[in-house]
Amino acid sequence: MSRQRSMETILNSEFVSIGELVRLTDSRYSTLKFYTEEGMLPFEQAEENLTRRYNREVTVARILLIKELKAKGLSIPQIKDTLGMDQ
Amino acid sequence: MTDLKLAQSFSLMALNAQSSLHMTTVKKVALRSMAAAVILEVYLDGGFAQTENKLVLKNDVLDSSRPILYREAILKPLLRKNDQVEGELKWWLTRASKLSNKKLKKFEHAISDSLMEEGLLEVIPSLLGSDMYFDSSGVEIKEYRSNIEAYTRTTENIRAEILEEGLVTDEIICMLWLLRECGCMHDFFSRNELEKVNSRMNEFYQSSLLAKSLFPIQIRHGLELGIKQFLRMKKKFAMTYVGSSINFFFPMLERSQAVFIETESWFTNSTQRLNEVIKRLVSYGHEVTVLEKGSISTIKIDNVVYEAAPHFVMMRVPIQGVRLVPRRPI
Repeated sequence: MSRQRSMETILNSEFVSIGELVRLTDSRYSTLKFYTEEGMLPFEQAEENLTRRYNREVTVARILLIKELKAKGLSIPQIKDTLGMDQ
Repeated sequence: MTDLKLAQSFSLMALNAQSSLHMTTVKKVALRSMAAAVILEVYLDGGFAQTENKLVLKNDVLDSSRPILYREAILKPLLRKNDQVEGELKWWLTRASKLSNKKLKKFEHAISDSLMEEGLLEVIPSLLGSDMYFDSSGVEIKEYRSNIEAYTRTTENIRAEILEEGLVTDEIICMLWLLRECGCMHDFFSRNELEKVNSRMNEFYQSSLLAKSLFPIQIRHGLELGIKQFLRMKKKFAMTYVGSSINFFFPMLERSQAVFIETESWFTNSTQRLNEVIKRLVSYGHEVTVLEKGSISTIKIDNVVYEAAPHFVMMRVPIQGVRLVPRRPI
């Protein structure tokens, strides 16, 4: 049996799932999925059908930065540019 | 950010936008499922001893130093005065869901109090109270509103865990079953997503022992059996191209309301019309966020997304206003 991890455990983990990122950053799943598909949130995946794992500290910081940039009125291509990503 | 127990997380979703004063059919179904959630919560927390296929619950489960009142409200009537009671998982879930209205009401108070203490639930005037007929007649209706951040966090976490590839936790398997039994699936997943949910449920059924024992259990009964027959009929109808949207737009256990709000005049300006609606809703204590402006605006009222379309009702004279229609998935 696998149980849901407590917030304390999540906050002490190096890697988290997208569902845990939703809990950590109060973001919508569809939003994080979109960012992931756009390559804005790097992840690790052992095999195709296994859970994507995100580095907690790096990814949370990146999501907060994206939110901040969006609040300033930047579009997704502009945010990608700011993040130093190739279009 | 607190870690909620399974029954609390589920109640946050099941009680949202439900009448707080009256025992409606939808709320009764929600309470039955919430009672089953308590059994699953105790099961996951190791409260049951397991002997062969039977789950044994001993009286001392209620004697812990910090008793959880909502658990007591369900477990006490099941234990009665016995030292221990045993039965299969199906038996426990069915018994919990068949508790009398009086006991369900007591349970509702216990769990809503626990959520209110943590600031996760409140009672506000019902959205239906903003409707022209209710507003003008002075009828007051109250409803529960889950804390918007906690509600979004909980529902989005479940969506993420289910719709993403990979293994899921036992809590998510229980939550899937509870959402199915409560008839809430339509509220959280679009029609395309429901196909994915269906295939994921089959996947879990093959790979998880908990899913294998839980998914075949049904706690819907009584009135819902009639509803089930109706749904079967509706499904047949929905197989045709014309009827394909019926299930999507009119799920049997409706949790949102189509509300009509009258306006002083037929505004040519959609912004003025929208402002009139927001003014009425805010006066009733609702939290309103405009998601999209236009001739038909999209607004989020508390935890439910609605479309505000110009409309009129025929009385002695036509009364013009705005009709709020729920948008799915909620």
